[in-house]
Amino acid sequence: MSAAALKVVKVSKRFGGLAAISDVSLEVPDGSLTALIGPNGAGKTTLFNLLTNIFPSTAGEMYFYETPLNRLSPKQIAGLGLIRTFQTARVFPGMTVLENVLVGGHNQVCRNAVQQMLWLPSARREERELTARADAFLDLVGLSRFRHDAATDLPMGAQKLLEVSRALMARPRMLLLDEPAAGLNDAETAELASLLRAVRNNGVTVMVVEHNMSLVMGVADRVMVLDAGILVASGSPQEIRRNARVIEAYVGQQEVLA
Amino acid sequence: MGPIIVGGLLQGSVFAIVALGFALVYRVTGVINLSQGAFCIVGALTMYTLELTLGWPVPLAALGAVVATTAFGTALGAATFVPALKRLPNSSMLMLTAGLLTLIEGAVLVVWGSDPYDLPAFSGEAPADIAGLRVPTQGFWIAGTAMIVILTLWYVLSRTMLGKQLRACAENPLAARLMGIDVARMTLLSFTLAAMIGAIGGIVVAPITSLQFDSGQFFTIFGFIAVAIGGMGSFIGAVVGGLVLGVAEQFAAGYISSLFSNALAVILLLLILLWRPSGLFATGVVRRQDVRTEQQIHLGIVRFRGRDAVMFAVLAVAALLVLPWFVPQSSGLLSSLVITGILFIGVLGLDILMGYAGQVSLGQGGFMAIGGYTAAILAVKYGWPPLLGTAAGIVLSLVCALVLSVTTMRLRGVYLALATLAFGLLVDSLATGMMDVTGGPSGLVGIPSFSIGSFSFASPLKMYYLVLVLIIGLVLLLLGGVRSSFGRVLKAIRTDQMAATALNIDVARYKVAAFAISAALASLSGSLYAFYFHYLAPEMVNTSRSLEMITMLVIGGEGTLVGSLVGVALLTLLPEIFQPFALYKRLAEGALLVLAFQYLPAGIYGFLARWLSRFDDRCARRRRSLSPLLSKEESP
Repeated sequence: MSAAALKVVKVSKRFGGLAAISDVSLEVPDGSLTALIGPNGAGKTTLFNLLTNIFPSTAGEMYFYETPLNRLSPKQIAGLGLIRTFQTARVFPGMTVLENVLVGGHNQVCRNAVQQMLWLPSARREERELTARADAFLDLVGLSRFRHDAATDLPMGAQKLLEVSRALMARPRMLLLDEPAAGLNDAETAELASLLRAVRNNGVTVMVVEHNMSLVMGVADRVMVLDAGILVASGSPQEIRRNARVIEAYVGQQEVLA
Repeated sequence: MGPIIVGGLLQGSVFAIVALGFALVYRVTGVINLSQGAFCIVGALTMYTLELTLGWPVPLAALGAVVATTAFGTALGAATFVPALKRLPNSSMLMLTAGLLTLIEGAVLVVWGSDPYDLPAFSGEAPADIAGLRVPTQGFWIAGTAMIVILTLWYVLSRTMLGKQLRACAENPLAARLMGIDVARMTLLSFTLAAMIGAIGGIVVAPITSLQFDSGQFFTIFGFIAVAIGGMGSFIGAVVGGLVLGVAEQFAAGYISSLFSNALAVILLLLILLWRPSGLFATGVVRRQDVRTEQQIHLGIVRFRGRDAVMFAVLAVAALLVLPWFVPQSSGLLSSLVITGILFIGVLGLDILMGYAGQVSLGQGGFMAIGGYTAAILAVKYGWPPLLGTAAGIVLSLVCALVLSVTTMRLRGVYLALATLAFGLLVDSLATGMMDVTGGPSGLVGIPSFSIGSFSFASPLKMYYLVLVLIIGLVLLLLGGVRSSFGRVLKAIRTDQMAATALNIDVARYKVAAFAISAALASLSGSLYAFYFHYLAPEMVNTSRSLEMITMLVIGGEGTLVGSLVGVALLTLLPEIFQPFALYKRLAEGALLVLAFQYLPAGIYGFLARWLSRFDDRCARRRRSLSPLLSKEESP
């Protein structure tokens, strides 16, 4: 088996007296599609925020392909190829759908601002190539027809897809997707599932926080379950389906069911 | 020592009163209300009219002036401040209040003219003698009033239900609204109270300072510096900050020079901003974080589509090329066109910074001053060729911009805007204070015409074409930049820094780049300005100029590059074409800025562009469908 894409060792995060994440250790294998599930407030988004260092962890270490993440800024972490999306889609307002995706590709632009300002043929060519790639990603998520519309005019579900294509444009080694299916109907969710599989098959490791169980069970190679900041289970979708602690976390205590 | 401290405390009491008004509005709305100082002037001058022109007795005149100013403040707040607060991000609110300041100054100019006014002291001019110190009796009025205002405000805020409601709006406007508090009413109330406090301050200080229509800026700036020293939103901080500032100011005036006392205050502000951005008495009240990136901005997209854009551009350039033939040579119109072009260069830079990168700069005039004075001084005193002097000005501006942006990197949003304001004021007071080098307040004369080699651009016509060529070149350059990755990244930073960072964007680097571009262009514009007028005085490139440039940009259209030309032309050419308009210029500028913020978010250019491309949009809307993923095959 190849090296872990992501390795989290005994990470904790406290907000004042509240332990949002306690002592979580996990490993995401290279090239896998991992789902992170758990009830509301379980700490899933918090874990993403720790990984991308939106705020620092209280204890523990995190590694991305063996590079320690703890001391890196969010920008540097993105620079390693660990790209995330947000729980509430954060598209750039005041920009078109296409421009939003193009921003994701900024790190592949080799010509500097001065060359761009001088309209150098090489800079314009690079711009055309970037646009072609962006269009391809828009096509992949089915947003091509909206390319010249304001991004914020899209419905919420489409904005989340736009965010995914923007993240893909950044050539990630690993994607962290925070509830990409929120706001999508069943048919669209199925499309998203095949998109996620396609991304994984292209060699990008994916970790996805999701509430939609049919999506999770349908696409994920591995499922991890967080409850109240503790990693309670981890395994294949089939194992998780049968796991007593997971059922407890989701549906409540056994005796209630009985 | 004694007289200086007494004078400083008196001066400081006035600053403290104004600062309280600032703190109050900031606490309730999170907005730094730059129009605060203007109410001092309205109060004082109304008092003058009531007491001296109409002959009312002092107590009645004071009461009348406070009531009238408060009513004026309420009306203005209800019409502008309150409705705008719902829609605009905080940094736009900052500029809106700058517009209000200009508007009130303009109104005062129309009503009272530009003469300075003095009020007689309330209880005679003979100073009192206390333990060998001569204290003007007005001092007791000032100190007493300050005390009463402070105690009343403290009582209302901490001991009454009304105060609790006001504070609730400050902590969490949404929750306050859900609790049944009328947030809009509380906002208006805070604005009204601040206007009242301003009026009271103005009335008691008027007998010891002479006031004119634009003295409001002075009160705003010093009141604000006091608040920043004390800690935004802290009432104790406002009072302590005011007193500290007053004493420091008097010491500087007494021991160094009164010309530099303003510079000292500004340096004090910069140091405080850098050392303790939250001030001496931090309140811990962290209001909506003030970058221009709030969700409430719904930015439209203004752009002509491909072929239309090229066609319009060619037509516009052709029109500008032949324009001088249609302008009567004898009139000053051609000259105004040149000035329009020169200012447009500076506004172009501001557009990159504000319209694209979303940073607010209230110090664009400061960079114009650096460019103008550097080039002019090198040309006049050392005989440098203008081209070299201009380049030197740009280099110096870039150095200043770099130092300023590196030192203020920790500051965000409104604080950054205020650091640029402080920078502009610092440059202004240095230009005024360094008499030997800059000619001081009376200006620098004998500046040669701009020239390249032996070719001198001595006539307005030659200058017109020089500026036109420069503008076309600059617009093309910037257009290349904003239509590429550079511009897109700037816009991304403007609207969502966190999302930008998560995409591996170096936010700081891009911000510095945008700041450098804006500084370089302002500097170029300042140099050309000096060479064109053959004269440069501090008031040509001061903070009023910075605010005017913001107005031009906003009413023309931010984030559109060429759009601001409409704004620059409007504000430069209108007073030239309609001479009687000159008196109303400041009033109109303020009113236009306030109106544009509220009703023309994309400026006049954006409005026109949207109107012209309405048909395209209509077609686009027809092509829309609701479900993005499933309807791929239906796409045309």
